[in-house]
Amino acid sequence: MAAKTPRETSVNLVVNLGGLTMKNPVTTASGTFAAGMEYSDFVDVSALGAVTTKGVSLNGWEGNASPRIAEVPSGMLNSIGLQNPGVVHLKSEELPWLREQGAATIVNVSGHSFDEYVQVIEALEDAPVDAYEVNISCPNVDAGGMTLGTHVPSVEKVVSLCREATSRPLIVKLTPNVTDITEIARAAEASGADAISLINTLLGMAIDVKRRRPVLARVVGGFSGPAVKPVALRMVWQCSKTVSVPILGMGGVTTGTDAVEFMLAGATAVAVGTANFMNPQATVDVIDGIIDYCEEQGVNDVNDLIGALEC
Amino acid sequence: MMVDITAPVLDNHQVGPRLHLMTLSAPEIASSIKPGQFVHMQIPGMEGHILRRPFSVYATYVSEGTVEILYQVVGFGSERMTKLAPGDEVAPKLIGPVGHGWAAPEKCERALLVGGGVGAAPLYLLFEQLVAAGVDVTVVLGAQTEAALVCRERYARVLSTAGCCAENAPLCATDDGTFGRAGFCTSLVDDAVSEANASGKPFDYLAVCGPEPLMKIVSGQAAQANIPCQVSMEKRMACGVGACLSCVVETVHGKKRSCVDGPVFDAQEVAW
Repeated sequence: MAAKTPRETSVNLVVNLGGLTMKNPVTTASGTFAAGMEYSDFVDVSALGAVTTKGVSLNGWEGNASPRIAEVPSGMLNSIGLQNPGVVHLKSEELPWLREQGAATIVNVSGHSFDEYVQVIEALEDAPVDAYEVNISCPNVDAGGMTLGTHVPSVEKVVSLCREATSRPLIVKLTPNVTDITEIARAAEASGADAISLINTLLGMAIDVKRRRPVLARVVGGFSGPAVKPVALRMVWQCSKTVSVPILGMGGVTTGTDAVEFMLAGATAVAVGTANFMNPQATVDVIDGIIDYCEEQGVNDVNDLIGALEC
Repeated sequence: MMVDITAPVLDNHQVGPRLHLMTLSAPEIASSIKPGQFVHMQIPGMEGHILRRPFSVYATYVSEGTVEILYQVVGFGSERMTKLAPGDEVAPKLIGPVGHGWAAPEKCERALLVGGGVGAAPLYLLFEQLVAAGVDVTVVLGAQTEAALVCRERYARVLSTAGCCAENAPLCATDDGTFGRAGFCTSLVDDAVSEANASGKPFDYLAVCGPEPLMKIVSGQAAQANIPCQVSMEKRMACGVGACLSCVVETVHGKKRSCVDGPVFDAQEVAW
């Protein structure tokens, strides 16, 4: 079995996500694809619009205790806790490998403090990175992560600081665990984001009734998978009417049809996350599904789908 | 090199209390899987349950292109598996072979394999490999009751012709005393180690697979007797390829992924 590549097509699939040129509108959701090496037996990572790497912090984090996942109807909960070996390891191992493969690379940047986000970006400025995704939305860490992304002044501060640190395309990843996501989207745009990505996971919980204990060691975790797609679509649609920067849509994208739904709702590109666990070739299958849709519908340019929802 | 292949069910039947044996057509995996590696199965007909399930391979038949999986019904997924039958419209898919399997020392001469419950199955390919290499193998099996000792006869068949110096059958213990010694199989491990030492030909490899408390105790027994020991760790898994970091095991070198860094670890590496 050779690594799968998308099928040939005359449909234009190239999109521009806030200055990042993607050969097709499909990337990976951070944390579900490592840096691609683990999936390279299954898909040609250079054929993806981009590979978005697992969140990286300055010095590496141990992550949370086990159990870290729970299966729930049409989805899963995770509380990995941004376990990663730190930015030096990413620079020395994963990023050179991705460059060797010819993959466009979005690095997901995490931190426990405003300064840490900036330090991670500064450490990566001389590395082969095509864009940054600033993670202000992880529900599984005590400091940084989602606590930043739910508070407008914090969003403004962290995005402004990151903006000052780089001229590369800056994507800001938003949490759905807020009352009004458009308020956060506006703050990110006003502070210099070139694009926004949404949604990160929804905060959830599962209980083992026999043991009368939570399934996850951390009690609560991030809910993802096909079950969250309606929430994600709604938020992408709301944000697309609010901000003018492009949107990277995600949340339950499993098929080409799902991807088209996100694009019609206003996304310029989509990320495949939990679906990678169900089907290790999901990323390429989603690209093929977008091609199928465009060819069947007589769409010559995938950009014509962006925000083309009739309502 | 891992593959993700469709693996039609050829046979699937109950072999013991909550224990079932499934035969799948999977030539690519039958010919490449090493003892202790596993497959990550997408079980058809349960789309609301999105995750795959990891299973050790019990036996392989390379010329037939088939693999056998011994599984215990513990939840929705394994319950659903019992309903799969030859000729089903949708077949399971298998990612595999995954992980680092058993690795006996190169000059291994005498090995002790300890299987608790369904943990007897992931040791069988190793057992076959060691016997074929002329290693003197002693097998200890533990189960709740006689009917659950479903791997015993298969081990016994091979042992009876292998010319090993220990008993020509697995040493067995059952919790309820219906077969072999009553109680946990760990006392059989103590006896086997003592006898091997007394015979002047001590064990130079111990492999254990089963519930974590059993593996912990046997690891301690191995350490005390100075026998290199390996264990097979199974944790909740999502991706099964090393990406998601769900299945981490605490080791003396930090957290490691049970899927691709394991599932087999040196017992001394695990932070019990």
